[in-house]
Amino acid sequence: MNAAPALIGYMAMVGFAAPPLMLRSKWPHRAPVLAVLVWQALALSFSLSAALTAYHLATPTEHLHAGFVGVLHACGLHDGVGRPDPGTAEQLATALPGVVLLSLFGSFVWHVVRARRARNRHRRTLDIVGYRSDRLHATVLPYGAPAAYCLPGHAPRIVVSDSAVRLLSARQLDAVLEHERAHVAGRHHLVLATAEAFVSVFRWVPLARHAREQTALLLEMIADDRAVRTHSHAVFATAMYEMAAVGAPRGAFAVGGHTVLIRLRRVLGPDGDPHPVVIGAAAVAAAVAPLLPLLLACPPNLA
Amino acid sequence: MRRLGDLEAEIMDRLWAWDRPATVREIVDDINTQRPVAYSTVMTVTNILHSKGWLLRDKKQGRAWLYTPVRSREAYAAALMEDGLGASTDRPATLLHFVENMSEEEVAALREALRTVGMQAEE
Repeated sequence: MNAAPALIGYMAMVGFAAPPLMLRSKWPHRAPVLAVLVWQALALSFSLSAALTAYHLATPTEHLHAGFVGVLHACGLHDGVGRPDPGTAEQLATALPGVVLLSLFGSFVWHVVRARRARNRHRRTLDIVGYRSDRLHATVLPYGAPAAYCLPGHAPRIVVSDSAVRLLSARQLDAVLEHERAHVAGRHHLVLATAEAFVSVFRWVPLARHAREQTALLLEMIADDRAVRTHSHAVFATAMYEMAAVGAPRGAFAVGGHTVLIRLRRVLGPDGDPHPVVIGAAAVAAAVAPLLPLLLACPPNLA
Repeated sequence: MRRLGDLEAEIMDRLWAWDRPATVREIVDDINTQRPVAYSTVMTVTNILHSKGWLLRDKKQGRAWLYTPVRSREAYAAALMEDGLGASTDRPATLLHFVENMSEEEVAALREALRTVGMQAEE
């Protein structure tokens, strides 16, 4: 029996049906860390399914061999030691899943390296142009609008405009900087890079686009949560408003700001943690989703 | 220990602050009021800044070049900010800017959200 049809069905479920469900749910914004994990698990699950589907399509008459070696082989994890006469189908069967997984990995590495290069370039200029503030542990840039961003990774920098320093109160400013510190400490750029890698390989899959978009938003929420741990919700929310509302140069950068509204409402009216059952179910989903394609592709050897 | 980048920043700081062409000698003398630094070191780093496109030198004072910044500090800062705030296509590169640019309606909605919980927009 060949597992390709089951795998394709599963891919359709994860890649096309699951994202709307996630988007409609209320819990992800209330448990953003868990939600990021679920999106990542779905992406991993989809990728494994794609690799295994490629394997099974290449070996339509593959018989499962009882025993551990057979299972490994059927999963494409084993090069078939001791199997006589590896035919073209077999070579293809090991090559295709390899191509899928390698292109994902390669894309991840490419995104990470390219981003690091851009950050290094940016940092070299920043260190000459900006004023280093030991008090704020940040680099201050002369700029007409209140703004803040961070350069994560190696030799991180937190950058804030002098307008923000003037406009915000000391506590508001520290809340904003705490938000940026959370991005750096949490290595959020690597999480985003996995979502970017997934979208570059599976551009046409709704899951990929939504995962990237939602991951970016959820990472902001995670950083927001970190900031309101040490500062009041009021201080943080008003800081957010000041940063968003005071005229940034139009057209200078991407407009798409309604995520700020979602974040602000969330900070102002914290809903509390989702029900433990919901948390539990989501955690189980995150843990099980990457294993499901393996179970589908390698029916347990008792079968 | 000081790194090369620090000296680059010190040189540019002075040229931006003075807002007029200056020679390496003037820069060295000014840095020397704070800490000792060799003329040849400053000369080398100024040359590097020139070859990297930070400084122009088209006139001479006696036998020494007069250096001027190519762009103002504010111009560099604006370019950095726009990169950092997501104008570049490398979203994950500098990324993670605090908030995005918003429309008037969105700002109004923000104000409304703050108002309903009885908060001042100013602290």
